[in-house]
Amino acid sequence: MTRARREKTAPNRASAAAALPPNVRRPAAGEAPDPRSVPGRRILWIKLRIGFLLVLLGVGLVLIVNRAWALQVRQGDELRQMAEQQYLREVRLPGRRGIIYDRNGRELAVSVDVESVYANPREVTDPARTAAALAGALQVDEPALAKKLQSRRFFVWVDRRVQPDEAAAVRALRLRGVHIQRESRRFYPNRDLASHVLGFAGLDAAGLEGVELTQDEVLRGHGEVIAGLRDARGNLVFAEELIDGRRVAGGDVILSIDKTIQHIAEEELAAAMTTYEARAGSVVVIEPATGEVLAIANAPSFNPNEFGQAGAFQRRNRAVCDRFEPGSTIKIFTLAAALASGTLRPSELVYCEKGLFEMADYVIHDAHRDGWLTPTQVLARSSNIGAAKIALALGRTRLYQFFRRFGFGEVTGVPLPGETPGSINDYRRWRDADTASAAFGQGISMSSFQLTMAVAAVANGGKLMRPLLVKRILDSRGETAEELLPRVRRRVIPETTARLIADMLTAVTEDGGTGIEGGLDDYLVAGKTGTAQKADFEHGGYSEDRWLASFVGFVPADRPRLAMTVVIDEPIVSHYGGIVAAPVFRRIADRSLRYLGVVPSFGGVVRRRPRHRDGVTTLALAAEGDSIQAAALGLHSPPPVPAAVGGQANQAPGAEGAATSPAADATRTEVSSAPESPQAEVETGAPSGPPRPEDEVIVWESPRRPSAPALQPIPRGQVRVPDLSGMTLRQALLAVRRKGLGLQPEGTGVVVQQVPEATSGVPPRTPVRVRLETID
Amino acid sequence: MSEARATSQGVHEPDRLLAACVVALVGFGIVMVYSASAVFAAKEFGASTYFLARQSAFAVFGIVAMAAASRIDYHLYLKLTYPMLFVAAGGLVLCATGLGTRVGGASRWLRLGPIGIQPSEIAKLAVIMYLSYSLAKKAEKVKTFTVGFLPHVLCAALFVALLLLQPDFGTAIVIALTTFTLLFVAGARMGYLVGIVLVALPLAYKAVVGSAYRMRRIMAFLNPWEYRYDVGYQISESLMSFGSGGLWGVGLGDGKQKLFFLPEAHNDFISAIIGEELGFVGIAAMLGVYAIIVYRGIRIAWHAADAYGTYVAFGVSTLLGMQVLVNLGVAMGSLPTKGLTLPFVSYGGSSLVLMLYAVGILINISRTRRTAPTYGWSLGSGPNLDDGVTT
Repeated sequence: MTRARREKTAPNRASAAAALPPNVRRPAAGEAPDPRSVPGRRILWIKLRIGFLLVLLGVGLVLIVNRAWALQVRQGDELRQMAEQQYLREVRLPGRRGIIYDRNGRELAVSVDVESVYANPREVTDPARTAAALAGALQVDEPALAKKLQSRRFFVWVDRRVQPDEAAAVRALRLRGVHIQRESRRFYPNRDLASHVLGFAGLDAAGLEGVELTQDEVLRGHGEVIAGLRDARGNLVFAEELIDGRRVAGGDVILSIDKTIQHIAEEELAAAMTTYEARAGSVVVIEPATGEVLAIANAPSFNPNEFGQAGAFQRRNRAVCDRFEPGSTIKIFTLAAALASGTLRPSELVYCEKGLFEMADYVIHDAHRDGWLTPTQVLARSSNIGAAKIALALGRTRLYQFFRRFGFGEVTGVPLPGETPGSINDYRRWRDADTASAAFGQGISMSSFQLTMAVAAVANGGKLMRPLLVKRILDSRGETAEELLPRVRRRVIPETTARLIADMLTAVTEDGGTGIEGGLDDYLVAGKTGTAQKADFEHGGYSEDRWLASFVGFVPADRPRLAMTVVIDEPIVSHYGGIVAAPVFRRIADRSLRYLGVVPSFGGVVRRRPRHRDGVTTLALAAEGDSIQAAALGLHSPPPVPAAVGGQANQAPGAEGAATSPAADATRTEVSSAPESPQAEVETGAPSGPPRPEDEVIVWESPRRPSAPALQPIPRGQVRVPDLSGMTLRQALLAVRRKGLGLQPEGTGVVVQQVPEATSGVPPRTPVRVRLETID
Repeated sequence: MSEARATSQGVHEPDRLLAACVVALVGFGIVMVYSASAVFAAKEFGASTYFLARQSAFAVFGIVAMAAASRIDYHLYLKLTYPMLFVAAGGLVLCATGLGTRVGGASRWLRLGPIGIQPSEIAKLAVIMYLSYSLAKKAEKVKTFTVGFLPHVLCAALFVALLLLQPDFGTAIVIALTTFTLLFVAGARMGYLVGIVLVALPLAYKAVVGSAYRMRRIMAFLNPWEYRYDVGYQISESLMSFGSGGLWGVGLGDGKQKLFFLPEAHNDFISAIIGEELGFVGIAAMLGVYAIIVYRGIRIAWHAADAYGTYVAFGVSTLLGMQVLVNLGVAMGSLPTKGLTLPFVSYGGSSLVLMLYAVGILINISRTRRTAPTYGWSLGSGPNLDDGVTT
């Protein structure tokens, strides 16, 4: 710049100065141009004036160059930021948000195009009339809109996500400065289904909860960076690369969730909620071998399409975010620890003190007045005393270490927001009473998701898996960007111990067990009931009438395919895990296994004796059976039953304080374990629920019954043809590929016909011919 | 006199450096006009090349006009002095009476069939030609008030008044300054010049304060950021454009401010886009080329064969220089006015063609440069102010 200035001024001055002395040529004739003469002085003056003006122009040039330097170099960064703010400011349209699929490629969350109306006030010529016209076509507040249109801004929303006919009406008005913008809106086609897992995305398509939140980076795409480059009128700048919507669209997420199992879990949970008039509940279903999450159901639930109308209570993913004292279900892990450490032999007998065990400063009660019990019987009859004695023999250090190895007290790392690690106190502060109560699930807390992962470890031969919720991530072109594979977190117990525990747990659902209602006709069930009093935060100690009924287990016990936890919070009609939660487990397990086409244990005949599904007959059976006996005798087990059994059940409520003495420790007073006999129900005859219509379908005795085609035997080496009906082409492709079959599609739309038909056996790689039709 | 001229003046090489610089700037202007207007043109006219095509056509026409003017003896304009003055004044009157096309609150164009003409551009040249003719003719009498001073001031004042009616404050200022400069160089008494400034200042103040439009513009000039979304919008955007460019610029065509943020990006504020895309380096280089042009123009004035040629060359050169300085000063927020194009670079047919024609006259004057003094007391290579009009 200095050079530019010199170029200008210096030569000019030079010419002004040099013009005189060397180049002065005296005229050959005429008067001498004497500077002192009048014309000579005039010439001199004029030269001076021209020189003066040249200097002025030079000064102007210097000033301008200086100004440019100040603006561009010294204040450049500041001004550039201001400029960037205005063209990166109005980010309005992120890329299309990715789709969330279930494990079989069924859509759980999609994006649909909707139209929004906006205005550029600077283009609007008559704000009042424009506002009036828009108020006629849309449901907007006219005065407020008129005010917005009078502003000097370049962009204001008039109305977002309008109906197609409204958008058409606005178009027909042909108002100057009023425009329509396509926006992407999140749509959950299955409404409530898996709502707590999926979460929801807000108005600007930003994930706010669930997978929508944790996978937001993937789903969101890169919209806001590129689409933010807008001109002053709010239009997308039409650079070529921006037109390719796929570049800004988000990636898709394929979850491990199975839509069908999720649906079954939700349906059964909702039914139990009604039946037992419970406050809340949750179900978690996991595939033990892989740690894949098949279903997470919570009640109450909500419709993510209208998430704003649901309260925090409905939206809470309690299976993952809430912790509770597990009660008797933890005995699985107490016994697993003792067996794995060798402090307990499977054949060893434990003396259960006839139902009352007095320790130095602590008294433990059982529901049954049992004497010597095998470890299997300790589980089956859910003896607190037995579990406590086994834990005391094991020692607090090892009990604590095994609990930690099972994953209690740390988050599982499932990609869902707000997971609780649960709580487990440091064993060095445990007294014997604490060790004993921890053995039957008091004083420690966990989420039902954690509990399911732990029981899945038992089902998986002792290997604790990392939970797998997101199976695969597709980029915006539909190609796999990331595939997440099952991973073992650690081995917790030896495989032999795990087998042993699984075997023992089958006794829980057999005659004499507390979880007989959780048993299935065709599959061996390994499970454990839990009935816990909830902590009473108002009065301290445990509540007398608020309960948490649970059932934890896996099926089939011999070759586990599903690990499941059912937790019913504050059921009113009954509160026993064996009565309230076990039937939910049974129904979900039964329907899911049949859906999965799992071969029945022992050829489909686990039990030949008659079983009854509805409450009334179950009660009748229980009344006859001699194995379920002894009412609620425990000090901390006052069942909320009518007066008829009050005296028997509520024997010593005054001793509550003694029984819950560990509960004085505030960190471990959430829930209490309780006896798990359904006896109270038996004697009062209170129905545990109305007969359910599908019960008749569920009960099938013959494995050859044609209404259960999924289980029809197919020759070895053949594969079962999946049911493709109703699937889109993409879904059908995924479904057959999963089975190792081919596909010959014909037409467009959804599958209406397939050859060979569903469930029949065909050799691998057989092509399935499907006809697709558009159904509206 | 023609005999005298034949001996006193030879036919010389035209000023090729001047012509080269001007043509280079015109080419540069076409590129920048395209860069600045492509998005706007595509949106408004459906073709991104709309302004490119028009500006190219103007440039071709203008360069032909320049070449022609460089071969037409500039003394021809002596006879056309008053007709040109009347045409310009008439055009301005037509604009002022509402026959012009209104664009953005100002009436500056006269539609002549398919083309629009800006009488204010003609006025600039007409006034310079008139003053040159008159000052050269009056020679020594320039010092007198009634003969040498008053007629010129009145003529300029008439044009300033007509321009303020449009309103076109920028051109008015440039015409007033050019008049002042020519009177100063021609030797008008300093007392008169100071006097006219003292008279003009209160009038200018009143013109500004009395017009809400001008007052707001002054306020926006004083504090552009406060009026950023109002009258200061254009200047704020312009400042941000310059700032975005930094030292080296964001690259030709990569500017963002032309995406409708900066109004008239291809027109009066094209320097802001140059600043953004080519940076300080680009602005400085462009100023260097302008400096060469103005310097060569004044050199031509210095060596002109007669006083008329000197005045015309000097008037055109200072007009050019001042317009560049004022245009950039405005775009950079240093001066409070607008309505001035950046010569040769801004989009606009009237401005480009007339400016090129004026350069053609300059080149013609350079051809008729005096080689040797043949009579009178003339200094060799000095301005020949006493030859008057050598027709």
